[in-house]
Amino acid sequence: MLFFSYFKDLVGREVTVELKNDLAIRGTLHSVDQYLNIKLENTRVVDQDKHPHMLSVRNCFIRGSVVRYVQLPPDGVDIELLHDATRREARGG
Amino acid sequence: MVIGLRQFMARVGTGAGEPVLDTDNGEELVHVQPSVSIALGNRSPDTPGTLYITTKQVVWLSDLDRAKGYAVGFLSLSLHAVSRDPEAYPSPCIYTQIETEADEDDSEDSDSECNDVLDLSKVTEMRLIPSDASQLDTLFQIFCECAELNPEPIEEGEEGGHNWVFSTDQLEDETGEGDDAECHFHQNPTNLIGHSNGDHDLARTVLELSHFCKNLQLQIHDQRFEDAEEMERVSDSSHHQHQ
Repeated sequence: MLFFSYFKDLVGREVTVELKNDLAIRGTLHSVDQYLNIKLENTRVVDQDKHPHMLSVRNCFIRGSVVRYVQLPPDGVDIELLHDATRREARGG
Repeated sequence: MVIGLRQFMARVGTGAGEPVLDTDNGEELVHVQPSVSIALGNRSPDTPGTLYITTKQVVWLSDLDRAKGYAVGFLSLSLHAVSRDPEAYPSPCIYTQIETEADEDDSEDSDSECNDVLDLSKVTEMRLIPSDASQLDTLFQIFCECAELNPEPIEEGEEGGHNWVFSTDQLEDETGEGDDAECHFHQNPTNLIGHSNGDHDLARTVLELSHFCKNLQLQIHDQRFEDAEEMERVSDSSHHQHQ
């Protein structure tokens, strides 16, 4: 549940979600659920030439299982805290 | 359920009715939206039709051709969105991306078509265009709710679905673990190197090595082998030892 809690704290921030099919979508994080399904608002595609069909959809729902990366705002990340938390979570099982 | 878009032809009754659902496994109809066109990939829309959203999948059935219907499971819907930008697509619609078996780069560009015959399993984009555009937000919401009902299935049999190995102990059964402190290392040295007659022998070899190492470690009280955060706990007692 670590990343679920972590992403909940990032609601309202700008993130870029990169999917496993290489599509990258930037938008405001609207919500996230326990499966790390992501809802974004005010979305726009990062590489518009490669993906013209998705020009500025207003909001979208991204299935958690197809996410490769979520790029975060640098000031939204406390690296030490995250490092400790993930280590503890891995040990605790 | 199969990955990707597929044909759907099973209709209730004489063929004019609703899709046949897998009610034995709990599939339920959630929403029906009449007067919806469907556009697969770059093709022009198929119309008119009716959209059926169930707890497991999205089904579109043609109103005109009873043999024509398409379905895709929520497990295969990578994303869905409301598209209102006329530059992206002339009509407001629900835009969806579909995960296919082998997601290659060229499948983006309607390689799914060959001489007008559509390979449904290669379709990666689908648009659903309701004649009533005011329904789009409702449809989007229903898609979200049903998608949430379909998380990735968890593999049975593994604890938590992961099989990370943290120590060589995990390679042997519980019975063999730690019951003798004897060192088997010297007995058959030739067995340890180069002979791996199947995984079992290899696992035994590794286990024997690990027992050997454990025996060594029992004699070593060296702070360098302690984890960093355990240092604080150990440091007090070790001070006593060194005196």
